[in-house]
Order: sequence, then C-alpha cells, then structure tokens
Amino acid sequence: MKALDEQDHYEILEIARAATAEEIERAYRMTSAAYADDSLALYSVFEADDAGVMRERIDLAFRVLSEGDRRREYDEQLAQRGGAAAHSTARHFSAESLAVEDGDLRTPSPPIPAMELPPSIEGFEDLETDGDDDYDGPSLRRARLNRGIEIDQISTVTKISSTHLRFLEEDCYDELPAPVYVRGFVSAYARSIGLDPQRVVAGYMAHLEVVRGGQRRSRPLGRA
Amino acid sequence: MQPGLAATKQAARVVTVGGGKGGVGKTFLVANLAVALARSGHRVVAVDADLEGANLHTCLGARAPLASLADFVAQREDDLEKLLVDSPVPNLRLIAGTHANLGAAQPSQLRRVRLIRSLRQLDADVVIVDLGAGVHPAVLDYFLIGDECLVVLAPEPTSVENAYAFLRAAFYRRLRLAMVGHGVRRLVTQAMDQRNERGIRTPLDLLREVESIDPVEGRRFVDTMREFRPRVVINLVRSADDIKLGFAVCSVCRKYFGVDADYLGYVNHDDEARKSVTARQPLVDYQSNADAAVYLERIARKLAGALPAAPGAGALR
Repeated sequence: MKALDEQDHYEILEIARAATAEEIERAYRMTSAAYADDSLALYSVFEADDAGVMRERIDLAFRVLSEGDRRREYDEQLAQRGGAAAHSTARHFSAESLAVEDGDLRTPSPPIPAMELPPSIEGFEDLETDGDDDYDGPSLRRARLNRGIEIDQISTVTKISSTHLRFLEEDCYDELPAPVYVRGFVSAYARSIGLDPQRVVAGYMAHLEVVRGGQRRSRPLGRA
Repeated sequence: MQPGLAATKQAARVVTVGGGKGGVGKTFLVANLAVALARSGHRVVAVDADLEGANLHTCLGARAPLASLADFVAQREDDLEKLLVDSPVPNLRLIAGTHANLGAAQPSQLRRVRLIRSLRQLDADVVIVDLGAGVHPAVLDYFLIGDECLVVLAPEPTSVENAYAFLRAAFYRRLRLAMVGHGVRRLVTQAMDQRNERGIRTPLDLLREVESIDPVEGRRFVDTMREFRPRVVINLVRSADDIKLGFAVCSVCRKYFGVDADYLGYVNHDDEARKSVTARQPLVDYQSNADAAVYLERIARKLAGALPAAPGAGALR
C-alpha cells in the first residue's frame, strides 16, 4: 500500500505501463469523475483537502502521460528508479469516454465512444443479446448501459426525442410511430451505441411485427 | 490472494452478502443468486443470518419454517443440518432466520465460531449467506468468512456512506483478528475510532504505526489487506452514471483502504423486481426475461465461474 505521493502516474490513473493514448485519456476521464467534487463515491471517505490533492495528481499524471516526449522521459526516470511500481494490468480504468458528437438521421454520425468495462463486467458481454439477434427494447437498453451511454446523449446525436427513445427501450409499441419511422429510430440508435444497425433493425422489427401482429395501427409521428 | 471458490474440494464454498444499509436489496440478491446457481446444477444452501429482519424465506417463496438459525443461536439445536428445509426450487435448501429472540438475536462469540465452522461443513456446493444491516461484530464475522464477500449498495449517498462504513469496519476487524501481538491489536482497536488520539486517519497511517512497532506484524498487515477482496454490486441502477459508481467505489477502496475491491456487477431498477417480491417468487423464476433478471443471471454466472463444476451442473441461462 502506498501513499498518494508515493504512487506513480500510472498507479494514479490505474492503468498499465503499456497503456495506449486512448486508454490514458479514458482512464483520465474515469478517475476525474470518480474524484470530482460532487462524486458520490468520494465525499464520505476523502477529506476535501485530500480529494483536492488527488485531483491535482490525476491532472498531472494525465499531462505527463498524454505528451509523447514527457511520457518517454518519465518512463526513463521510472526505469532508473526500478520501475516496479507500474501496474501489471489495466483492468481498473482501461477506458471511458462519453464524448457526444453532432449528427442526425440523414448523415449517420460515428458511434458515441463507449466506456470499456473491466474484465469482471466484460465477461458478460456475450449475454447482451443472449447470443442471437433477437433485439427488443430491454436488450437495447442493456447494450446502451453496458457502454456507459445516457439516453440524452443518443438523443443529442440522433436528434430523436428522448421520449421516443424511451418508448423504444420500454417496448411501448402503442406509443411508437409507423414502422418506417421506427426503423429509422432503431437504426440511428444502434449506430450511436456502436451496434450493427442492420442486425439490430432486423431483430427489432421482427419483434415489433410479432407483438403488433400486423393488426394494431400505430400513431402518427409527433403524437406521443 | 484470496483463495478461489475452487480451492478446496471438501468444504462448501461460502458467499456472503452484506452492505451496511437496509433496503438496498441484499435479500433480493441472495434469493435470486441462490436460485440461479441452483438452477444451473449447484447444490445450494441459502442462509438467512439477518435474525432481526428475516425474510429470505419469503423471497424464495417458502413458508416460514418452525426451526431456524435462531434455534442454533439460542442453543436449542447444535446441528445446522437439522435446520435445513427444502425450498420450492430443486437443489436449493434454506436455513431460515425466523422466530428469533429479538432480545438476543446475535450469538455469543463462542456460538459464532461454531456457526461459522458449521456453515462450511454443510452438505452443499455453495452456501450463500444473507447478512443483516449494520456493523455488529457478528455481522462482520459472518461477512469475513466468505470465499466471496459481496457488498451491495444502491446509487444514493446514504447507501454509499453505509457501504464504506461497513467496509471500514470489516477491514479493521479482519486486521485485528489477523494481528498476533497484543500491542498491535490494541492499536488497530484504537484506529477503529475515527477520532482516535493517535491521529490515525487512514489504513496507511495505521500501517506506518504498526511497522514502527513490529515489522513482522507490518508484513502481516500488508498480506491481510491483499487477501481482503470484497466484490461490489450496485443495485437499483437507473443510469450509466449509476453503473460508473461501482468503478469509483472500487477505486476509492484501492486508494483509501489499499483494498483491491472488485466490481462484480450491477442490477437495474426494474418494476418487475418489486412485483416478484410481492408474488413471493425470485425474479429469475417469476420473470426470467425481465431486465433485472438478466443482470442477476450475469452476476450468478460470474460467481459460478469460480465454483467447482458440480455434478449435473449446466450453464446458466
């Protein structure tokens, strides 16, 4: 166990010595959130001063490790000191990013970068759709949450109202518009969280068809 | 490193579920994990050690049995096997916590030791123990016997505070039991008081003090910390931020306690969960495709991965 001032930059960010630039940035976002002023996980353990020191250490670690030359120089210093301090794995904060980019349904936007989960959680990813393409609302929601993405972020990217997105996730078929619109919604949703739109649309629409039984009339768009 | 569930062939593997605060879903989690593990072929015993608020039997859909753990605590029964009752689920038996003497619900130290030993000797692959709220020494001792020690919390300040208080208490109790020297044990006891006169604020402060008194005990201190690896479960998750709370809590545990907490998983807030409790049925049976049930199965699968293969055990759904 080491005091904060004894931990090297890699230990502060909880990453491996071989972490990529992307992993460093994501670890920085995650640790910054964990030790933010308003962090739920922090306030009852760390004193305000200690938390402030921690945030400064996190910022410093990121500044050094995110600049190629400074990082090389720092690595050399660590090697000279014995360098045994670095973590052997990056399982704690391997990646996290929730940047939102603009886009709409006509010009497909790149997916929202997802939060990479540690092995303990990643091991369950194969259960996300129970191994098949049977996508329904709850499975979409699980996929979204597994990626650490909020529904409002998808709304911003896709320009689809969060109300409609929630209807999708909650399988509120009676509240959804005509199938042609639902198809577009599902496609944009899937793309925004990094799923294959074709597979998701096929799965969701098949599910929708079964539930609606081709009998119920859908509401026109805008009357949610 | 903490021994894995597969480390010993003979004894039952023990999973303990605590968390400090009431109402965060410990019993719900225990009931559903027990059912999921039993359905996958493991012989499971679910134990309700929350004698002051026993309701695991209700979550499992079993009637309140006449004999319970309370009889063991009150020394009316010495053989835990005789307290076992069948549950509605094949492979799953229950030791309930009903009919406790609320004036003396916690066992004496001697009785506690005997109970802990007996739990491991139960004829089962897995014994999963539901703990009560709070940081009573008995609760902490039950928690610490687990091969897997699960800490359940909800994404709200009161729950997080209590979870840390619980972890802090468990951590210091484990240390105190591990230390041999009388002086060092007394030091740990002093450190448990957050306003102690020696100014020991953190486990690191304590370690420095211990090392200065006795380097051998200092090494034992470090080893004890390494072996303590609680596993965090976030229940009642509604947002991605709630999920990330688990990572943050584990990070704080590492940075503050020096304890390598592990994020085992999370369970979504789901109305179906409430309905299953009302129906007195585990959610994984009541509505197996419910959102929360999927997450519970995931956690059970993670636990099952650490279990020795039971005869006839199949994959979790």
